[in-house]
Amino acid sequence: MAYRLTGNAHDAEDLVQETMLRAYRAFDRYRPGTNARAWLFTILHRLRTDALRRRGRSPETVELLNDGPPVAPVHEAILTSGREEIVRALENLPEVFRSAVVLRDVEEFTHAEIADILGVPVGTVMSRIHRGRAHLRRALSGRV
Amino acid sequence: MGCEPQRVTALVDDALEGEERAALEAHLAGCEECGAQLEEEQHIRASLRGLPSPEPTFGLEQRVRRRLRGRGRLSAAARLLLPLAAVLMVALWARGYSPFVAWELARDHTHCFGMDPLPARVLASEPEIVTAWFDEQGTNLPLIPPSVGRLALVGGRFCWLPDASRAAHVYYASDHGQVSVFLVPHDVRMSDEHAAHVGGRTVALVRLGSSILGVVGDDENQVGAFVSRLRTSVAALGPGATPILTTLRPAS
Repeated sequence: MAYRLTGNAHDAEDLVQETMLRAYRAFDRYRPGTNARAWLFTILHRLRTDALRRRGRSPETVELLNDGPPVAPVHEAILTSGREEIVRALENLPEVFRSAVVLRDVEEFTHAEIADILGVPVGTVMSRIHRGRAHLRRALSGRV
Repeated sequence: MGCEPQRVTALVDDALEGEERAALEAHLAGCEECGAQLEEEQHIRASLRGLPSPEPTFGLEQRVRRRLRGRGRLSAAARLLLPLAAVLMVALWARGYSPFVAWELARDHTHCFGMDPLPARVLASEPEIVTAWFDEQGTNLPLIPPSVGRLALVGGRFCWLPDASRAAHVYYASDHGQVSVFLVPHDVRMSDEHAAHVGGRTVALVRLGSSILGVVGDDENQVGAFVSRLRTSVAALGPGATPILTTLRPAS
């Protein structure tokens, strides 16, 4: 997740380190019996959001992004795309969509868990995943 | 039912149930566009699912462990340092608290005169010798009186105070008692004078110019005489005569 969000190993490792330290400090706030993995991802997401804000980028504002002109996906191109092409398309996806898609498709969290991690309603999560995948389909269509 | 692309996404994620799911599946059977979306999203999801994570660089786990241990050490240090900081705060507060200073000087007076021989680092009745010794230690006491009334100069040393500062301690003695004169190395919260009786000793803290002197004795009258003498000597010198111990005149 950290790697998919930051896009490079160095920043990802920093993010993981900070997440572990923050979790260690906040351990008294962890409720035993709840999803520890989701709890760690919640911390990681907050750290990432804070870091983006400090750099003057707010992932929330990206949500207002226009999805662009409707381009009919090229079915064959998408279905024959390999993992490398999809990963490249994922890297170019606006972060607000990328985090939702990664949490769902890479990390296999449920919509409700993603809503907890990102701190948004389930409907918003579904919308982000849908729009994120639509971006990916368009990106993969353009490869031929 | 018409085309609802977001529901197709929900179906890919297995987030539709019952009638909703059945209705969409019925729609998909006759809608090429939605069917294509379903296939494409399934392909993307399958490609991303189980995407191998990049191997962390060597030592990531050790770095995290080291930083976590560092936090532990900090906590342990904080646990040790906080009480020490509290003690230091109290010591700093107490060092300017006149009753505490009086108590400390009385304790030093009793301690020194209770020893045999007297623990003086310089033993002399000549002010010049005592002054020269203090001068070597970095404390300027050039005009120590050789006597006040029957009390004659005996010698001196430094006494450590609880805040690790040291007060110049000058001994005077006669057949009828002993008096200590201290140069307190820091300010004391009081007006011009603070008088106290501590454990049978009389203590007078006196502000003379920029200096704080402490006079401790067994006899209240002797201490009073010593303080009067100090005041008179300074007054005779006129304004601006500080610090006090540099301006004391020998008794006539």
